[in-house]
Amino acid sequence: MAEGDPRATLLPLGDQSLLVKFADSLSEAANRAAIGLARRLERERPDGVAEIVPGLVSVLLRTTPGVDLARLRGELMLAVGGEADLPPPAARTVAITFDGEDLPEVAERLGIAPDEFVAHHNATSLRVLATGFAPGFVYCGFHPDDLVVPRREALRPMVPAGTILFAAGQTAIAATPIRTGWHVIGRTAFQNFDPAAIPPTTLRPGDDIRFTVAR
Amino acid sequence: MTAILLTRAGPLTTLQDAGRFGMLAHGISASGPMDRGAYLAAGAALERAGETAIEFSQGLEFDTVGDLRLAVAGGDFKLWVNGAAADWPGAMTLKSGDHVAIAPGAWGNYGYLRFVREIDITPVLGSRSTNVTVGLGGFKGRALKAGDRVGFGAEGQPVVALDAPRSEGPIRVIWGLHADLFDGAVRRRYVEQGFLVSTNLDRMGVRLTDPVGVFDGQRKLNLVSDAIVPGDIQILGDGTPIVLMRDHQPTGGYPRIATVVSADLDRFAQLRPGTEVRFRPVTLEHAR
Repeated sequence: MAEGDPRATLLPLGDQSLLVKFADSLSEAANRAAIGLARRLERERPDGVAEIVPGLVSVLLRTTPGVDLARLRGELMLAVGGEADLPPPAARTVAITFDGEDLPEVAERLGIAPDEFVAHHNATSLRVLATGFAPGFVYCGFHPDDLVVPRREALRPMVPAGTILFAAGQTAIAATPIRTGWHVIGRTAFQNFDPAAIPPTTLRPGDDIRFTVAR
Repeated sequence: MTAILLTRAGPLTTLQDAGRFGMLAHGISASGPMDRGAYLAAGAALERAGETAIEFSQGLEFDTVGDLRLAVAGGDFKLWVNGAAADWPGAMTLKSGDHVAIAPGAWGNYGYLRFVREIDITPVLGSRSTNVTVGLGGFKGRALKAGDRVGFGAEGQPVVALDAPRSEGPIRVIWGLHADLFDGAVRRRYVEQGFLVSTNLDRMGVRLTDPVGVFDGQRKLNLVSDAIVPGDIQILGDGTPIVLMRDHQPTGGYPRIATVVSADLDRFAQLRPGTEVRFRPVTLEHAR
């Protein structure tokens, strides 16, 4: 583990899971640490681990019945401190139609024109921070500080699969119909959830993701 | 083809097998039976059983098409075959044209029908369980309703019931992910005070009422989302405790004070609205 990486805390989540948590709030370092640990564990899954679930700042490990928890905790602490000898992240491109109903308001809050917002939004690639909240729903981050707006006050009724959401320095992609308190800035034809495929999602935490304007 | 034709179904009637495990990283909770022990008991009452059960609440009626062997278990329900009372729980062989009616009995929310044959639907992501929240799997991704015809395929395998007796007394919990965010007095009151199961319950979660206001003024904002497991007890923004169940959201950002131990989650799922529920913290060693 590189110097300055956040400290890992191991917590039981009920009696059948452990959570390795790197921070109490979302940060670049904690997210990278969570993704790195999950990828290392996926390569060499410890005995007694039934499922590995990377999150924004933590990794959930569902354990098998009767697992020796003391032994597993020891192995996990070693994995936390392990070297990040991993292949580079996959590069992905997602084309967006920027016609979301909140786009004018988002641009106005940032004091720029909508087309400037689009250019700024697409200028740098983001990282898939985590899948969560709903099937195939991904959080991508982080935008620079001058591209941060808070969430909306109120939840919206259902938005369709493919909706591009924006808030809290992140862009998220809805892969199923959901209710959301994020700003709707556009839509994509890309579908990150296909229940007929195994695995059912395409994007992985850690992937490098570039947004473009759909033609 | 052998089938049953539903003539009446309560709102929470779904097809469930053991669960869709291994999909949490894709944002999909495992689903599966609300009362796993009862699901297994119904299967074990047969010589062999298909993996998929019909989970129901508030009763069920159906007509059989072709001869059919099945077993029932779960909470307490009343069962009639062609108008004559039959044993609950139990196993039976039905003839084509038989009419079965099931109505709630003295306790419990969920009952299970299991069949010698597998239910003839295509598995989705390795499971026939219905995830009603997502609209995934099971019978067209939805709850069953009157008019649905459920067909059967090949015979299943022998099923082993849980050997552990069902626990009694307070529902055992392990202190949760955010227990430290609640001060000592609140944690003490959480253990000392009873809560009531509310009428707001489904396969996603069971809301509790908090008659003495244990969690009043406990609003804690902006927690980062972490993975959820079945049995997690979240405290919503208005102080309402909710116990997350089999069709839970995959991640959540509300504070979690405790998690119901897996051995007690079946029993909790069967508590009817209005039932008083108390929680008793145990150590991990005592939960396993």
